[in-house]
Amino acid sequence: MDRRKIDVVLSTFLIIASVIILINDNLVEGGAESDLGIMFLPRVVAGFMIIFAATIAIQSFSKLSKGAELEGPELIITNGNSGIFIYIGIFVAYWLAVPHLGFMVTTPFVMLGVAVLLGGRNWIPLIAMSVITPVLIYYGSKEFLRVYLPTWTL
Amino acid sequence: MFDNILSGFSAILAVGPILGIIAGVFIGIIFGAIPGISCIMAIAIILPMTFYVDPIIGITMLLAVYKAGIYGGSISAILINTPGAAASFLTAQDGHALTKAGKAGKALDISLFSSVSGEMLATLVLILVAAPISAISLQAGPIEKVFLLLFAFTVIGSMAGESIPRGLLSCCLGMLFAMVGMDSITGSSRFTFGITELMGGFTFTPMLIGILVMPEVINVIRRRKVPHHELAITHSPNPADNRISFKEFKQVFRTILKSSGIGTFVGALPGLGSSTAAFIAYGEAKRTSKKPDEYGKGSVEGIAAAESANNAVCGSSMIPMLTLSIPGDDVAALLMGAFLIHGLTPGPMIFFEHTETIYAIFAGFLITDLFLLVIARAGFKFFVKIASLRRYYIFPCVTAFAFTGAFTAGQNMNDILVLIVFTVMGYGMRMVGLNPAVFIIGFILTPFLEQNLDQAFAIVGTEYHLFFASPFSWVFIVLSAFFVFSSMRMKRKASKVPAPVQEKSA
Repeated sequence: MDRRKIDVVLSTFLIIASVIILINDNLVEGGAESDLGIMFLPRVVAGFMIIFAATIAIQSFSKLSKGAELEGPELIITNGNSGIFIYIGIFVAYWLAVPHLGFMVTTPFVMLGVAVLLGGRNWIPLIAMSVITPVLIYYGSKEFLRVYLPTWTL
Repeated sequence: MFDNILSGFSAILAVGPILGIIAGVFIGIIFGAIPGISCIMAIAIILPMTFYVDPIIGITMLLAVYKAGIYGGSISAILINTPGAAASFLTAQDGHALTKAGKAGKALDISLFSSVSGEMLATLVLILVAAPISAISLQAGPIEKVFLLLFAFTVIGSMAGESIPRGLLSCCLGMLFAMVGMDSITGSSRFTFGITELMGGFTFTPMLIGILVMPEVINVIRRRKVPHHELAITHSPNPADNRISFKEFKQVFRTILKSSGIGTFVGALPGLGSSTAAFIAYGEAKRTSKKPDEYGKGSVEGIAAAESANNAVCGSSMIPMLTLSIPGDDVAALLMGAFLIHGLTPGPMIFFEHTETIYAIFAGFLITDLFLLVIARAGFKFFVKIASLRRYYIFPCVTAFAFTGAFTAGQNMNDILVLIVFTVMGYGMRMVGLNPAVFIIGFILTPFLEQNLDQAFAIVGTEYHLFFASPFSWVFIVLSAFFVFSSMRMKRKASKVPAPVQEKSA
């Protein structure tokens, strides 16, 4: 994938966001007045972001328009990206499931899923690891850290 | 100072801190030795577990993870030619050449001894230099601190990114995210868009794990089809090839001292980091060596130079953080977060407000070196075995620990959402050449900047020229301009030399 195209799109997005920060007064709610002004620093930062984002966009756009060859980091390798989507999907499902099913029930499935995604097929050690690790984490957190991880609520 | 150091030792020589150091060294070596896992990941995962212990135990444990993790990186570099970090690249060149010649034991030995020597020297410098610098920096008022922080942002942003605009943009993004939530001075809510959960801002730990740790996991998942490397120590039948003799160590001791000095100096400058130190020290050692031809082909001296410089950065990178509140690199930023979470605000006042704690941490730093030496020496074979664990055993555990770490911070499921969002953002930042570490530094330092800026405005009123009345202000303006200019020159030079592009194998 050509990173220069992403540069142009992302920089445009950041410039638009920065302009909104510069001109919109509704981004702050309540509070007292200060010498500095609550939006002073965000606006200074937004100003700098416009400069840096524009620099990146102009550099990438000029290379794109000249049809210059891609240099090392400008080529984004996308092989294996399906795995990334699956992993993020597993993590989102983990986040949604834990409050209802609890940490101890959900985590073994998540660990097993990630292990399989990474090519693990040694079922007995993988299942043992997926069961023992959450148990150790759960009781370790409870006994030593006094952190109570979510439990089954259905 | 001597009394403080003694009281530091008496505080650290207790069961809790010693167990913390041992655990930290163990975890650090294991995480450092596993290809694809860095010491940053280890620190970020261990960080939430230290919330509930005394700061002396928690911070020394994290520092032990840091030091041992940097050393652990040389194990995979030497044995399978897989440097976990850029700083280990040179160690991999010479170390792996020795491994192929059946002298892996010698390479691992010199790497360990050089690492420990470099770290000890840098720690001594840290102990001797930090308190006097902090006494000077105490003279700085809010105006000077504003310029100091602007200097830090400029230097770190311009030195650390792939290009200067990308580095500075990463810093600005971190600053912007730090401004989300209720302002501590005025009580106003910024960028919350009516979402009450955002009033407290983004929780630091899940954001940190998301930005710095999880993208590494994602990277391993993307490259899951790259074959797994086996780590194995190859033995030469000659016992002298498998260890380093005192005579050999004496021969490279001058190189170790010089490289440690270079590492200490480079580490004390914000933004340069351990790779720069290793490259400069290696180049200098090669320049003055009697056998420069051996460099890159299995030079014991080369490993000693790279490793001692690389590890010396650990101690000295704490100097700007503890004296000026400027984290010099990503690990220092992480450790600064850990200090803040433990109620210790890095900066000159730390030496007066938490004297016993800070000197105990210093003592812990020195003791960690001894434990690193003993534990690493005793457990070479064990660490190599652990480091050869297949990634499908390691990364599911990292996922579970990341989840627990993010939850532990606030015991709130919304923090897991923060973790997921910043994981995607951290990976995206890496893809487009933005620097996540600079983002974190911007995030950490912005509240200090805003607080000092507010105080500075209250002091100067409408007489804005007072901002430039102090010589400190001019010194930092000149230094900022100098660093930006020199980093532009460095990057221009570097762009003329084609960089080797290689996919790191997991």
